Amino acid sequence: MQNSNKKQMTAAIGINRFIKQNPAGMTFVIAIILLVLTFIVRPNSLNTNTFSSIILLTLLLSFASAGQTLVLIGGGLDFTVGAVMSSAAVMTTFLMQGQNGKLLPVLGVVLLIGLVVGVINGISTIKIGLPAMIVTMAISNLVARTQYLFAADGKSLGYAGPNLIKSVSYKFGGVVPSIIFYAILIWGIMFYLLNRSIFGKQLYLVGDNKEAAKLSGIKVNKIIILSYIFSGLLSAFAGMLGAAYMTVVSAQVFDKYAFQSLIAVIVGGTALSGGLGTYSGSIAGALLMTVLSNGLTALALPDPIKNISYGVVMILLLFAYNRTSAVRE
Amino acid sequence: MGTLFAKNAPIILVAMAQAVLLIVGALDISIGIQLALVNVVVIMLPQELGMSIPVAWIFGILASLGISAAGGFLVAVLRIPSLLATFALVFVVKGVNVLIMNVPQGSVPKAYYSGYDTVLFGFLPVAALIILGVALMWMVVKRAKFGKHIYAVGANPRNAFAAGINPTSTIMKAFLFKGLITGIAGISLTLMIAAGNPLQVESYGLKSLAACIIGGLGFGGWGTMACALFGSGFLVLIQNAVYYFFNFLQGVIDGFQITSYWQNFISDLIVMLGLLMTTVTARAQREALKQGISRQLKRGEKYAK
Repeated sequence: MQNSNKKQMTAAIGINRFIKQNPAGMTFVIAIILLVLTFIVRPNSLNTNTFSSIILLTLLLSFASAGQTLVLIGGGLDFTVGAVMSSAAVMTTFLMQGQNGKLLPVLGVVLLIGLVVGVINGISTIKIGLPAMIVTMAISNLVARTQYLFAADGKSLGYAGPNLIKSVSYKFGGVVPSIIFYAILIWGIMFYLLNRSIFGKQLYLVGDNKEAAKLSGIKVNKIIILSYIFSGLLSAFAGMLGAAYMTVVSAQVFDKYAFQSLIAVIVGGTALSGGLGTYSGSIAGALLMTVLSNGLTALALPDPIKNISYGVVMILLLFAYNRTSAVRE
Repeated sequence: MGTLFAKNAPIILVAMAQAVLLIVGALDISIGIQLALVNVVVIMLPQELGMSIPVAWIFGILASLGISAAGGFLVAVLRIPSLLATFALVFVVKGVNVLIMNVPQGSVPKAYYSGYDTVLFGFLPVAALIILGVALMWMVVKRAKFGKHIYAVGANPRNAFAAGINPTSTIMKAFLFKGLITGIAGISLTLMIAAGNPLQVESYGLKSLAACIIGGLGFGGWGTMACALFGSGFLVLIQNAVYYFFNFLQGVIDGFQITSYWQNFISDLIVMLGLLMTTVTARAQREALKQGISRQLKRGEKYAK
């Protein structure tokens, strides 16, 4: 009797610990629950199309969040993710014009965009000394404007190449989109950067305590600029894949990814203050955001109600994982 | 002069509302869409229920107070970082707006909006008078006990708590005060455009924030309403100047064509330079700003240095 009680106790403590200390896992669990709820309420939305579109959108958002995760861990914030993605997408369609064979030059140009914006971001956040939020927002405005050079009146002047499109949205068995190969590549890169490289270790230290990191001989500025550069490169790559997913692109199409990636990363347990967080959490966060908007679409609610419930659910999630401690504590 | 004030009073007022929150160490990016909420309420009440317009104005201010109270509850009581909480609030307010008014519609009687556009005694625009009124209100509040509390809590909530000030209720009150100013701004917006639109001016949230920062406001315990005035004045004048300058060039040089994209690009560039300019302003102020925003973003004192 006592023994079983004890067992229950340890199980309860285990669950409690899981909830408290594993935001990434919890986010994943909540996402699955939401998905199941959607299918219970709307059984006819349970089909292969739903699954493949959820996987596609989740992975696209997780690519956008990859860079954001790095920057947040380093204690910064990158609002240019959306603008860089849009520019990369516009550039891809502008250069490709619906033809194959231009993949490598396009990749080069797109990564160059990411690199340039990343360098500008990094240097200006350090040199201006204002909050990263404000600086990157101003830069993102500028980046967003330059897209109109290549997209007259906001409409893109071309299409992504068919091979690139195929490499993103070809479906294996009708369910798994081929974007998963890119995902494996990016997971590998992120895993190496965060868990195996010196850069990752130093990034966590810088995010946790800049002064201490500086005193222990880390080149803080270099690490921060590097994190912004990686963010720029990753979001540019995400934008290129996004262009392939959308086929036709208009200017500023991915701008909303700036905030979405931020929320996905935060929900996945990365601290806004830096020094804490994992990429698997960001993927879970991206899944949660995608499942949430998919669920709201599947419920066929009128638009205003959809917006309201989206906001309310977001507030609940933030309430669960991102409270600051009380003054009294 | 008259039109300059009339066209830009809403953004200036919103920046002033944002300034109150920045001083107490919070921020609100849903402030832009809240303007649209006031706009929608003020237009729809007379149109659907036959209410007289001044009464509808009071209800508009009440709506803004209500949504600000919700924001204050999230930030002060539930202690969600204000950047994230108010971003989530944007969706809620947007939904509410569309529930009240599904498509842009409505009008304002001519007597009201022409009254808003008039210039008193040949030099004093009514819009400027509204801004002046809000500034006076702030001066009174600043000298009251509440004003002192705002600065104390913004500078350091723990010390303020130790000194017997309740940070929760102070932040809540600051949000309500912001709601009052936002309500006034929403009414000016309604008078300016003389119509209703549920999804307009969402960008004012971030714009007002940028205006305050350019004006030199730090996060928490630093700065005055004048910072917001100068910052938003800077933004507004840059936009106008770029517009008139390009119009002038078009007149002088034959075949000189420029699109509004380029005008926006140039004014954004100047705003960026304005941010760069803040590097040469007082270093101490920047330190306060940085500390404030890191405290603002920290999950808790545990992670703070």
